[in-house]
Amino acid sequence: MFRYYLKLGLLGIRQNPILSGLMVAAIAIGIGACMTMVTIHYVMSGDPIPQKSDQLFYVQLDSWSPTEPADEPNEPPDQVTYLDATALLKAGNARRQVVSYRSGRVIEPAGQESRPFEIDARSTTSDFFAMFSVPFLYGSGWDASADANREQVVVLDRATNERLFGGENSVGERIVMNGDSYRVTGVLDEWLPIPKFYDLTTGEFNDPESVYFPFSVSIDKEIPGHGNTNCWKPVPDGGWQSFLNSECVWMQFWVELHGDEEVREYQAFLDAYAESQKALGRFQRPLNNRLSDVMTHLENGEVVDQSVRILLVLAVLFLVVCLLNTIGLLLAKVMRRSGDICLRRALGAPRAAVFSQYIVEAGVIGLCGGALGVLLTWLGLQGVRGLYSDLEFVKNLAQLDWVMVLTAVVLAILSALGAALYPTWQACRIHPASQLKTL
Amino acid sequence: MELGPIWRALTRNKAGYILIALQIAVTMAIIVNAIAIIQERSRLMARPSGVDEENLFYLANVTFKKDTNIPAMVDEDLANLRAMPGVVDAIFTNSVPLRNGGWSMGLATEPGEGTESSGVAVYFVDEHGIDTFGVKLVAGRNFLPEEVDWNDPESSRWPPTGIITRAMADTLFPDEGDGVVGKTVYINDDNPVQIVGILERLQAPWNGWDGVERSMFVPLKREMSYGRYVIRTEPGQRDRVIPAVEKMLADSNRDRIIKDTRTMTETRIRSYLGDAALVKLLSFIVIVLTVITGLGIVGLASFSVSRRTRQIGTRRALGATRGAILRYFMLENFLISSVGIALGGILAVALNMWMVETFELTRIAWYLIPLAMAMLWIVGQLAVAGPARRASMVPPAVATRAI
Amino acid sequence: MLRMTKLSKVYRTDSVETHALREFSLQVDEGEFVSVTGPSGSGKTTFLNIAGLLEEFTSGSYELDGRDVAGLDDRERSKLRNEKIGFIFQNFNLIPELDIFDNVDVPLRYRGFNAAERRKRIEHVLDMVGLSSRSKHLPSQLSGGQQQRVAIARALAGEPRFLLADEPTGNLDSQMASSVMDLLHEIHGAGTTIIMVTHEANLASQSQRNIYVRDGRVSSEPGLALANAANG
Repeated sequence: MFRYYLKLGLLGIRQNPILSGLMVAAIAIGIGACMTMVTIHYVMSGDPIPQKSDQLFYVQLDSWSPTEPADEPNEPPDQVTYLDATALLKAGNARRQVVSYRSGRVIEPAGQESRPFEIDARSTTSDFFAMFSVPFLYGSGWDASADANREQVVVLDRATNERLFGGENSVGERIVMNGDSYRVTGVLDEWLPIPKFYDLTTGEFNDPESVYFPFSVSIDKEIPGHGNTNCWKPVPDGGWQSFLNSECVWMQFWVELHGDEEVREYQAFLDAYAESQKALGRFQRPLNNRLSDVMTHLENGEVVDQSVRILLVLAVLFLVVCLLNTIGLLLAKVMRRSGDICLRRALGAPRAAVFSQYIVEAGVIGLCGGALGVLLTWLGLQGVRGLYSDLEFVKNLAQLDWVMVLTAVVLAILSALGAALYPTWQACRIHPASQLKTL
Repeated sequence: MELGPIWRALTRNKAGYILIALQIAVTMAIIVNAIAIIQERSRLMARPSGVDEENLFYLANVTFKKDTNIPAMVDEDLANLRAMPGVVDAIFTNSVPLRNGGWSMGLATEPGEGTESSGVAVYFVDEHGIDTFGVKLVAGRNFLPEEVDWNDPESSRWPPTGIITRAMADTLFPDEGDGVVGKTVYINDDNPVQIVGILERLQAPWNGWDGVERSMFVPLKREMSYGRYVIRTEPGQRDRVIPAVEKMLADSNRDRIIKDTRTMTETRIRSYLGDAALVKLLSFIVIVLTVITGLGIVGLASFSVSRRTRQIGTRRALGATRGAILRYFMLENFLISSVGIALGGILAVALNMWMVETFELTRIAWYLIPLAMAMLWIVGQLAVAGPARRASMVPPAVATRAI
Repeated sequence: MLRMTKLSKVYRTDSVETHALREFSLQVDEGEFVSVTGPSGSGKTTFLNIAGLLEEFTSGSYELDGRDVAGLDDRERSKLRNEKIGFIFQNFNLIPELDIFDNVDVPLRYRGFNAAERRKRIEHVLDMVGLSSRSKHLPSQLSGGQQQRVAIARALAGEPRFLLADEPTGNLDSQMASSVMDLLHEIHGAGTTIIMVTHEANLASQSQRNIYVRDGRVSSEPGLALANAANG
């Protein structure tokens, strides 16, 4: 029977090409607008590290001023101080712990004619790569002893290795950054976590840094951060050392914990640490330490832009308007064909048959609308890219994957079926005799 | 003339009309809120930064050699820059308005730890700061050359003088006006700073900050390995001066990188890119939505006309003129639109209240509601005009035709 | 008085010319009850449409109540129709979404009467056709005969000089048909001129005068209808 209804449906579409075309267009435009925003929202709110996102925890310690919170209503600062980061690192109470911050370095290539260039760098500890599952093309990160011995080692990203070594395996080679020589231990493969969850303070959707080198070296060389530095208390005289000992927050601290038990233990450890600092006159606020897994951290950081959320709401309402339009058009179509329905009913078609016929027809229209909608979504995303063409990262956000294509088609079919329910019900209600006389 | 019967006829054939009314209602809710957001963002984008945006550009100076003498390099660069043809003035500083990255401090009217302070954006400048940015000094005086010095990396003391914006002055000392000049405020708990001048306007680097009008000039040149030259050119000379400046700086000293040259015009565009894009997307939504709703009205009206051909003929036979038929359909649409618009008004306010709550948007201006109502009424009348005209052309003889 | 002189109506499509009426001449006097009969396609309906100002004619002249209607514009024709002519259709042509009261109200609205006048007239004619108790009903809630009586009430509400009826009993069973005919006789008795198109000989025989139309002309032969009339 399905094939018969399909045939009837296609016939119905052909009989009223303008009306059917309008319906397909209404669904396609609604789907296009809605899915453009859904796609951007989906990419922005995606899980950047799905296999581990519930095992990685961002640490926030409330070391802020006794008179006011770091952020209303009572948020702890979004980064940690050097004092606390090194203390937690030393305690080593988690499976893995990583401290890092973003800085800038100037690389001086070996050749005479090539000019020095500036890149973004990340100062971090050896566990960074394993913890965040960073893929390597050649070699590996450095080990804990390199951190301890302040070895001048470096990991390059793929693009920088391309630029410096033409893409060859450069493990063991040396590069010069700001006058110091570093030994390459590894080269990263393509790595683009969206959002850049491990450091939200330097642009949630910026590219990862180009080079990575030991935190201990970076502190030794007095390399300042390129992200936010926030202080609630003046830094006393004394240069770099007094800055390190200050209450300024400027680095990110992550731990890896497996299971609730470990999370509870680590939380208890953090609280105990805060208590121990209170004894030294620090941490004058009530205990307010946070351990947030990746998705919670992204949520706290309001990674999804407000504009995107506004547009998503309006785009969904836009789809509603298009569907109301479709329902109206379908209703018109059913009314126009009421004679045909009466005749079929008179010839013995049960209500269910009329229902099936129109629902199948709506499904076909939904499918067409969905297909066209995917095209419009793609166009919409191109449009959004065009609007934001000055922001490089938008091209990573405005991307259609097969999940979204499938979502678009399914949403279109469901929309069409949903829109068809009332008109089809009306069609079923048409009394077999009502129109025959005037046929 | 015949609202009563039209209305009664409408209520007996609800479904199609309810759909259109609902569509108009949701459309109105979206349009009103979209326009409110467009207005809000446009208002943000229209705020002046206070600087001479047309003729300003800046570039980053990155030093990387261990033995580079930054003060010597910068002083030499500044002397060279200020001597270049087409250049009005130049400074070495940390940021510019709208750049979304800068330095902020708290200023308090009383010394001591934990006193209430107000955030202020800090620009490190010398006595050329006012001239270079093109800001207007409305009270007090500029920095004297002897007040400006290079910082001591080991010290966290702040210079004893500062120039603040009118907005900052009003925040610290409400109702004192120009009397703020000569007063002392405190930075870093107890470091006194005497206010020597007031600027009419100078925005902070962060356009999203609610204290965006609060800025301060500090007479200090900092030894930054990543600093910026801000250069003001003669009107119309900017694009000619940029390559000359880049070449001069790059050639004069190889121990640094000159990068990220950007004009203030570009900076403004980048700074408000998200707002501008939102405005465009919302305008697009408003237009497309209006068109779709208009087409919906055309579709329903056409259908309704073709379904009622015989009735139209009968009315004509009973003495209706063409004008009367036209009026009938126009009035019918007016009634449907009115229901939709009334519902839309309620929906628009409800949606706005929810958005205010969820997205911290501002309330819609009251006049947007009648404006959107009038617009949708007009759209409805325009949309129905075609089908209504076709209805008026139905010949009266249709009434006697056998089906 | 209604007078048509050498009236012709030609329908033109791209390739075909159809002569619906050829030099059709007819005079109907004040107070007459005239029936028009003829085979299908003879031009009965065209005659009625032209008589009722629903259609224009190609040539000849037509005087309605002493007024030459050729060259009148839509507004004037609509006004004449509204004031001088009442229509009764084969399939009633009640407006389905309006109740009985509002249906009868339709021509009165176009006439521009005030609300009190309209109400008075509607109540009067509904009373006359015996349907005052049904004024809030929709047409679909009435029988065919009742619907046609509403249509007659609607035609009479404006007190027209002429009542044009197009197969008024065509969709009714014989009992309902005879009650409708009785009503028409009553109306005629009250002084309204009636012109009724029908293909039923026994209805035609109830009129004072029968006009037989064939090939777009008034036929000179008396025809079957008059023979029947003589018998009746």
